[in-house]
Amino acid sequence: MNARRIVALLLKETRELVRDPVTLALAVVMPLVMLFLFGYAINMDVDELALGLYDQDNTPASRALVARFAGSPYFDIIEYRHNTRDLDRSLQQSRIRAGIVIPPGFGRALLRDQPAPVQVIVDGGYPMVAGLGMAYIDAVIAYFPAPRPEPVEMQTRVWYNPSLNSINFVIPGLFAVILMAFPPLLTTLAIVREKETGTVEQIYASPLRSAEYVLGKLLPYALVAFLEILMVILVGFVWFEIPIAGSLPLLFVASLVYVFTTVGIGLLVSSLARTQLAAMLITLIVTLMPSFLFSGFLFPIFTMPYSLQLYSRLFPAGYFMEVSRGILLKGLGVEAVLPNLLLLIGYTLVVFVFAVWRMKQKVA
Amino acid sequence: MSIAMIGLLRKEVIQFFRDRVILVLILWLYTVEAVFCTLALSFDVEDVPLAIVDQDRSTISRELVQKFALSESFDLQYQESAVSVAETHLAHGKVTAILVIPPGFERSIRSSEQTTLQLLLDGTDSNIAANSLYNARGVLARLVREQLPFAANTGAIAVTRVWYNPQLTTSSFMVLSMIALAGMMVGVIHPAASIVREKERGTLEQLLVAPISTFQLFLAKIAPTMIIGLLAVFPSLLIVRAFDVPMRGSLALFLILTGFFLLSAVALGVLIAAYSRTLQQALLLSFFGLFPVMFLSGTLTPVEAMPDVLQALSRLSPLRYYMDIIIGVFLKGVGWRDLWDESLCLIAIAIPMLILSLGIFRRRLQ
Amino acid sequence: MGDISFAVRRGERVGVVGADGAGKTTLLQMLAGILDPSSGDCRVFGLDTRRESKIIAARIGYMSQGFTLYDRLSVDENLAFSARIRDVPQDQYLARRNSLLQMAGLTTFTQRPAGKLSGGMRKKLSLCTNLIHEPELLILDEPGLGVDPLSRRQLWEMLDRFQQRQVTSVIATSYMDEAMRCDRVVLLREGQVLADGTPGALLEQLRGRVFSVTFSTSPEPLDDVSVKLRRLQGMRAIQRLPDRLRCVTDADDFKQLAMRELPANTVVTPAEPQLEDLFVLDSRTEVEMDCVEPPAMGNGEQASRFPVEAAKLDADKDRNGVQTQNLSIRFGEFTAVDRINLTIERGELLALLGPNGAGKTTLIRAICGLTAIAEGGAVVGGEAVSLKNRNLRRQIGYMSQKFSLYLDMTAGENLAFFANLYGLSGNTARAAVAWASAVTGLTVPLRTMVGDLSGAIRQRLALAGSILHRPAVLFLDEPTSGIDPASRYRFWEVIRVLASQGMTVAVTTHYLDEAAYCDRLALMMNGRLIAHGSRDALIESLALSPDTDMETLFLTAVARADSASLSEGEG
Repeated sequence: MNARRIVALLLKETRELVRDPVTLALAVVMPLVMLFLFGYAINMDVDELALGLYDQDNTPASRALVARFAGSPYFDIIEYRHNTRDLDRSLQQSRIRAGIVIPPGFGRALLRDQPAPVQVIVDGGYPMVAGLGMAYIDAVIAYFPAPRPEPVEMQTRVWYNPSLNSINFVIPGLFAVILMAFPPLLTTLAIVREKETGTVEQIYASPLRSAEYVLGKLLPYALVAFLEILMVILVGFVWFEIPIAGSLPLLFVASLVYVFTTVGIGLLVSSLARTQLAAMLITLIVTLMPSFLFSGFLFPIFTMPYSLQLYSRLFPAGYFMEVSRGILLKGLGVEAVLPNLLLLIGYTLVVFVFAVWRMKQKVA
Repeated sequence: MSIAMIGLLRKEVIQFFRDRVILVLILWLYTVEAVFCTLALSFDVEDVPLAIVDQDRSTISRELVQKFALSESFDLQYQESAVSVAETHLAHGKVTAILVIPPGFERSIRSSEQTTLQLLLDGTDSNIAANSLYNARGVLARLVREQLPFAANTGAIAVTRVWYNPQLTTSSFMVLSMIALAGMMVGVIHPAASIVREKERGTLEQLLVAPISTFQLFLAKIAPTMIIGLLAVFPSLLIVRAFDVPMRGSLALFLILTGFFLLSAVALGVLIAAYSRTLQQALLLSFFGLFPVMFLSGTLTPVEAMPDVLQALSRLSPLRYYMDIIIGVFLKGVGWRDLWDESLCLIAIAIPMLILSLGIFRRRLQ
Repeated sequence: MGDISFAVRRGERVGVVGADGAGKTTLLQMLAGILDPSSGDCRVFGLDTRRESKIIAARIGYMSQGFTLYDRLSVDENLAFSARIRDVPQDQYLARRNSLLQMAGLTTFTQRPAGKLSGGMRKKLSLCTNLIHEPELLILDEPGLGVDPLSRRQLWEMLDRFQQRQVTSVIATSYMDEAMRCDRVVLLREGQVLADGTPGALLEQLRGRVFSVTFSTSPEPLDDVSVKLRRLQGMRAIQRLPDRLRCVTDADDFKQLAMRELPANTVVTPAEPQLEDLFVLDSRTEVEMDCVEPPAMGNGEQASRFPVEAAKLDADKDRNGVQTQNLSIRFGEFTAVDRINLTIERGELLALLGPNGAGKTTLIRAICGLTAIAEGGAVVGGEAVSLKNRNLRRQIGYMSQKFSLYLDMTAGENLAFFANLYGLSGNTARAAVAWASAVTGLTVPLRTMVGDLSGAIRQRLALAGSILHRPAVLFLDEPTSGIDPASRYRFWEVIRVLASQGMTVAVTTHYLDEAAYCDRLALMMNGRLIAHGSRDALIESLALSPDTDMETLFLTAVARADSASLSEGEG
């Protein structure tokens, strides 16, 4: 190992990166765009659900129920006055996501202390909206006209994220996704581009050793990756005000490990792909897609079929996600995150060994 | 059609079938990806790992434990006697919820006294937490109905019917949105890649000196993608069928509207190609371009859950209207009359985009 | 590549020549330790290239065929990077850098990104990056490819200077003037050494094999004569120059044979052999030679079509070649082409020469209707040039340097596609394809994928594709770059045939020897036409001796124009 050669490569790589506006924008702007889109859009708290109401009863009681719905911030009410067919059609045309029909006799039943049924129709075509909508509607109706004492009360305590704010959950997960999306892609493209343009022959014909080449190539991208994670963490705290329950230095150490996992995967892909197009597609399939879909980022792993749970264990994003969520939300210490951290370190080592072995074969 | 046009089209088709990378990509998107995602991804919160601390150890408390154990929503992992032990499970992420049944639970129920159960939730994933609470209430309500059939049952009661998807499974929604997404991606990437490759290879120049108009060239570049996109609908119908999603509406209407949807995707692809010099740039730009379009469409997260600004922006995403159309046609079986406004919006996006992309394509070539 | 034994002495300069796919690059990569020999051994400085490649690497410089610079790094940064990875001590670096940049004439461009340099400057910089560690062995793969004559000369001056320091070099090249500068030339074919010797010794082998054919009185139609010549026994190649034919033959009694067959006014004189001629003595080229003959194009129907079509071109007397009038093209403030007045007569072969960035390609693009004309105008084949005129495009054939072909389609599919583009279909298209393949000597099966074809075959295919519609004017942009000499001979012969059929041809080239094939030369510099006329006329106007070579002619003209523009500036 010769430090001077590595520094030369490092310097060259950094210069090339800084002078490539498209890639640089990808490295810097895209994580932020993702952060803001996810921060705002992945919010499972539906509000202003389009709700159709048809009050056939038209008594003070039924009007009071309508007023309850109208007064709730969760619904956007469209009233129908003539027949249920209009309401049905609106549901068909996706103008409303749910409909409520208050049948005649509703008010009378309430006065007589009898059960007073209300018809609720939900559009199951959009299951996420439907599920949440049903729960909200149930809650409003169950509290009408007054909260009824339940024989068994369910008392809830929520740990870690008492406000049940989805941002607190999304952003620590996003660290894992963003780092898996860009650094591997940048690393792969940087190496495969040299292969495609032929500049790599120059490297082959120089005294540069493959370990030196790998180090010099990776360090700038590892640095970029680390800056990305710092930036995302900073914006998360300052803008989205997510809490930090655990130790920040521990998070940085874990991030550093993960950064090397990601660029290592980029290196591995570059040793498999010959063209930039192929490199890009492979990266998409082995990093971005699984880290987004199979890491527990949005879709909990425990709800997947068993075979796909195993598949999801193939990708490192999930391990890091547990670490970052554990540290930030649960305040876990070293001993609690250690198993996952060790897994990541092992994973990284395997990836590097395999990639350097593949590289050597190519060079020779 | 002129001879030159036929020649251009034939060439595009030959190249399409020889380009393994794009073929694999398309196959992957329409099959493996669609099936994987549909199988794996669901917002149904099922099998939430649960620990129960039964401090009562009575018939009724055991009955309740049994109900949780059988529930699809929960996966009973631990039964502990001490709350503190259960709490370590929660801390280590082994379970997401803990139910504590206090001593004297049975006695309270028998004597119709009001009693309290404790549910301890890991709030990390707020969605899981909220759903777990909702589902736990449901399990509890079943027990209460059985044990106290005569409890006062007054006030307003919701009688809920779910249309189109009574089980409220996410698989039908997922498979349809995956197919829409696949159409979008192929529609953007294929024309972009095929145009930029000609730029890179220098063959575009050869076409420019030939006596063909840029309009013909434009047509030749978008036609194969349109045809492929429309043909890909048929195998995807099989996948949709495999997931037991009904096709209730008219296939012809679906194909026509898919055509307009593809036009808007293709227009985006041509725009990207016009501004990029290398394939790499084109792919990165496609990525930049596709991301917001997909994100704002309501396929990943409900439009209703977005802030107002994003909701307004989502009106610009053709995918949003296409999702409404595809769900309308497949699940609801609605026809032209019920889809006219979505269709109009889709056309109103597709046609100007196409004209814009043609104009820019023309200008950038000269 | 098989069974090659090859040794180079210290301080020697060896040229490696050979046709496409002969194994030149493979040999060089093996020497540089990039490829391992699958059997046998390869030793450099007595070290094994398999096990000790990194020790060897520190002592050699290897310049591959493609560009090996980082486009986004500046000249200085590229050089510094190359020095650092090769462990050049800092205290020596600056001195070496300054002297190299000075030699390469790049001193004023140190801050410019490599991607914005011209082809010639890039090659020179590549060479500098390989000389910065003062290697003992220099391995260069096609150093002159795509480089304009001025830069090429500077490149060789640099090499000469290093050779004085006892640097050993191995240079692969397709250009025989480069091979002539080597101490020894090795001719490869299919991975085997076919000939090995000093350039002088190799030329000696050719003596008595090369002849010039001229006519004492009224010139005969060269077409007819060349057809007759071709039938002679042992004929290997015929080069058709504007005023004479140059033949390479195996036959010992060529002169007698020729006098018997040819008209009485024929004068056959021995000609000076060139290294290129060595290639055509390679037996494989013989087979392909026949195809050039227009009348020998397979079945009778096609054979008769050719003259008929030629006659059709004749009928349109007014469809002249190319005329431009005060043609100017600007990109923003920059005037790329400045008031060009150029006429190319029908059936004339014109070479457009000039250093990189002189405006040749821009001029051709404008005449093809691809670039907007700022001022003036042009008429091509009777059609006024404009971006919109689609009839114009039917009159034009264009073949670019990159051989614009679809690599993922077969040769036949490519040709059929180009035929369709020009409105030919069915039998007409098939006939056009058959004709063009016959004319260009395309002998590969049409079902072969273009990606699998060699450069020389791709060149023929690209030419065939651009003449399918029998354009009035054919533009060729660097048509021979990277093609071996034997294939170049044939290429020019085809071009001559086309010109004699009435096609107007304009060629840009960096290889001045090739300009000799053309009827007239047009020299461009800084967007202006600085000289224009036949070779003899130019020599006369520049007051040079009659046997001046093309390079001197070119450099003199450029130098004149330079000083003229200087004095213009002062005045």
